Amino acid sequence: MAASRSTAKSTETSAATSAIPPTSPRALVLGGNRIPFARAGGKYAHASNQDMLTAALDGLVARYGLQGERIGEVAAGAVLKHSRDFNLTREVVLGSALSPETPAYDLQQACATGLETVVSLSNKIRLGQIESAVAGGVDTTSDAPIAVSEGLRRALLDLSRAKTVGQKLAAAAKIRPKDLAPATPRTSEPRTGLSMGEHQALTTAQWGITREAQDEVAFASHQRLAAAWDAGFFDDLVTPYRGQSVDGNLRADTSLEKLAKLKPTFGLTLDTPPTMTAGNSTPLTDGASTVLLGNDAWADEHGLTPLAVVVDAEAGAVDFVHGVDGLLMAPAFAVPRLLARNGLTLADFDYVEIHEAFAATVLTTLAAWESEEFGKERLGLAGAFGTVDRNRLNVHGSSLAAGHPFAATGGRIVATISKELHARKAAEGRPVRALVSVCAAGGLGLTAILEAA
Amino acid sequence: MTDGRPTAGTYRTVELPAVPGLGGLYARGAAASGRLAVTRRFGASDDVVGALPEVAYVVRDVRTDAARLTAYQHLLGEAATDALPAGFVHVLAFPVATALMTRSDFPLPLLGMVHLANTVTQHRAIRLGEPLDVRAWAQDLRPHRAGTQVDLVTEVSAADEVVWRGTSTYLAKGTSATGTASTSTDDEREAFVAPVPTGQWRLPADTGRRYAAVSGDRNPIHLSALSAKALGFPRAIAHGMYTASRALADVGAARGEAFVWTADFSKPVLLPSTPNVRIGHDADGFAYTVWRPGAQAPHLTGTVTPA
Repeated sequence: MAASRSTAKSTETSAATSAIPPTSPRALVLGGNRIPFARAGGKYAHASNQDMLTAALDGLVARYGLQGERIGEVAAGAVLKHSRDFNLTREVVLGSALSPETPAYDLQQACATGLETVVSLSNKIRLGQIESAVAGGVDTTSDAPIAVSEGLRRALLDLSRAKTVGQKLAAAAKIRPKDLAPATPRTSEPRTGLSMGEHQALTTAQWGITREAQDEVAFASHQRLAAAWDAGFFDDLVTPYRGQSVDGNLRADTSLEKLAKLKPTFGLTLDTPPTMTAGNSTPLTDGASTVLLGNDAWADEHGLTPLAVVVDAEAGAVDFVHGVDGLLMAPAFAVPRLLARNGLTLADFDYVEIHEAFAATVLTTLAAWESEEFGKERLGLAGAFGTVDRNRLNVHGSSLAAGHPFAATGGRIVATISKELHARKAAEGRPVRALVSVCAAGGLGLTAILEAA
Repeated sequence: MTDGRPTAGTYRTVELPAVPGLGGLYARGAAASGRLAVTRRFGASDDVVGALPEVAYVVRDVRTDAARLTAYQHLLGEAATDALPAGFVHVLAFPVATALMTRSDFPLPLLGMVHLANTVTQHRAIRLGEPLDVRAWAQDLRPHRAGTQVDLVTEVSAADEVVWRGTSTYLAKGTSATGTASTSTDDEREAFVAPVPTGQWRLPADTGRRYAAVSGDRNPIHLSALSAKALGFPRAIAHGMYTASRALADVGAARGEAFVWTADFSKPVLLPSTPNVRIGHDADGFAYTVWRPGAQAPHLTGTVTPA
């Protein structure tokens, strides 16, 4: 123990000069697999979170020859999770082709769940606690859990505790007809009562983001995702499931004209004209994704080619409750901290992946980074944080086209961009980096740096 | 608050054995209101109001019930800590002031009185289980453009130290106070410009009944459309203190333990309703506004600032 502790110490010292500590194991992205994402109520309408995550994991196992393998740890999660799925990931492992001796845990950080599983498992690999891992996430809005009302729930709990007939009758008598209506999960923020779209509409208006700019982001997302599918880019990243072989939300034939015809859906009661539509907002989606992680030795032993190194990560949060910042603006603060710690600027990244919760989320984040005022007053910098070259942004499309099964999005992004990083480095023979940014409910954000291995 | 008028210091103290129940008080208040109406109709002074009783009611050793506290905290969206929310202390103590308003010599009718404004100063957090003394009196009877207003002051002490003080301003419509100069300053309201919302409250039709269950305030204007209609409202209206207390809960832990919490009730919230809210760093501490989109005036505004 003493020896390993001193190793960790020397690692910390050397971390100041190098982004990737040479003395501790590297956390590598070795591959990924997901099922095509489907629109809510589509081909996965009757598939559960457990079904979909098992399908994605078994696809990963088959692709990388991991049958019967005892993986260091599997971590995954779902944002909308039924209480019976208290051990979702372990149950998925038990139902998969992995060794039943593979440990697992559930994790949840709203829409950042998938990326956080990658980050926390990578940290375990870097600490030498595990040699291999599978990160993942899944969500279904079609098979969402439905709860009973608070009144019925309390009455049923009282009833279960009641001992005498009189107590039971008294508990049952408290149930009112309206208590029998089911409580479906809501996407509104508990502390503000506003939906994510209504929150983004406030931020969109604050930053003056136009409808045209949002539709252009949506159009590019569909164009780029369609091109990647056409080029066979996803052939070794996606396993078809239940008759779905490409992402169900993808509209290869959409156009700026078609997007411009859609009626606004958010921000209808604001003073400014509404700009957010179903076309430039992500739809409710079902799907699952997984990412295979490991250190160099484990990759060697299994004959796997490292795609990318998980370099560093930074989480952030904003006070949206009191209107200080927009709900989805946490990455605008987390990324500058992350880059400063690693001695990097936006110009050092060949790829920037910003999860498209809404087209406007991407645009307000970019606008904040380009703003002198925001840079000085909110980030404490000498001026604007910087500009992202649009040609490096979401190069294979993002959530507007692929859809966004909340916890599955992080795994989709990490697997996609890791493959791209590896290919780019192979072609150009120089260091290639990607910045990943995911906003999440609760004013959260999670960001990470990946570098081609 | 005292402005040189007779204050609680000179008032005679009457000790009550316990905090009275509001249900009985409303019944007494209804009877008294009827009697006052009769007096006004047939009395020589028509609808001129007499002086306030120079009496302070005191209840000692008031205890808090944990289950009631939890129900209150859950309903209002407060963290269920062992610190009593300032609005819960109001719920606990205000019936003592209400009892004062049902005295036969109280010059205004209890029923139909409108809660205009409320200010609470909390000097420190009160913990569950602390024995509390409550002292309540009425002061500052004064004219209002629509009648007569009066302040009901409630002081809560722990170990002989005032830890919480609330001033609730009520209006009796259609009456005019005697012996006080017409110094009403709240005639002109500035035109309301809706701020950028930070959130929205979904207030279902049973909001008043649910708050009545945790507060004990079963004033019929809050309970159902039918009972509210009987008292001149088109639908049930939310308790003013429910809305102010929700705003306080939305400010959250950032309010600290010592603060001044104000509320100005401009327009009642007719239930059900989904008003916009803004709770932001717009004053020394926080300011809040609750309004219906498109409305010409807010439902309520207020601040939560360090004491």
